[in-house]
Amino acid sequence: MFERFTDKARAVVKQATSLGEQLHTKHIGTEHLLLAMATTPGIANDVLTGAGVEAARVRQDMETFYRGDAEALEAIGIDLDAVRAKIEETFGPGALDFDPPPAKKSWFRRTVNHTPFTPRAKKVLELSLREAIALKHNYIGTEHILLGFLREGAGLGAKILTDQGFDLRQLRELTLAAVPAKT
Amino acid sequence: MTEAKDLAAAASSTDPRTGLRAVVALRKLLESLEALQVRNARKHGWSWQEIAEVLQVSKQAVHKKHAGRET
Repeated sequence: MFERFTDKARAVVKQATSLGEQLHTKHIGTEHLLLAMATTPGIANDVLTGAGVEAARVRQDMETFYRGDAEALEAIGIDLDAVRAKIEETFGPGALDFDPPPAKKSWFRRTVNHTPFTPRAKKVLELSLREAIALKHNYIGTEHILLGFLREGAGLGAKILTDQGFDLRQLRELTLAAVPAKT
Repeated sequence: MTEAKDLAAAASSTDPRTGLRAVVALRKLLESLEALQVRNARKHGWSWQEIAEVLQVSKQAVHKKHAGRET
């Protein structure tokens, strides 16, 4: 499904997965795609930045959200950091964070069950293809990922934006306005 | 210090949200741990049957859940 992605769109997907590693999440969700779009050059980045979306704030909100797990466990007397430290002592850094990497590097070509993408994140990528088709574009750029993301509209990424006071529909308009005229 | 107080309050809280949130977090931790430990057992040459016995589930259940993740 990635054949039609532009280099910049691929860079966004790649960035989303590396953000998963940086933030110690097992999954790649819509929030990773959002932060990836906000930190990788492209039309999506232009639109988001132009609308006032700040990558640093998005990242902060993600960290706060993930931190919720640790806090919830603390409330019942479990120190997640201590558990993590103990496990990493034996199994190495990041042992708790990830499923094992599949044999081949090109995991994104494998069946859906083998990708770390959440169902919603997958949906966003599927919708990006549909957005491109609707616009009669024969490629998928970062703008189509953003449109897909905004259309999906229900993941953590969307929640972070709406909680920060952004209007998804308005962002959609801005994105459509930034789509290059068909050549 | 207020944070510690908040946490103490959360621990004794009867708010279902707090309790349920802890369940979710615990489940996530459990899933990660299980995947890690099963992987380790396989690396040490354990059969699915042996793993299943210790985990107190059926061999099929363990296999179905974890075999796909093997590298």
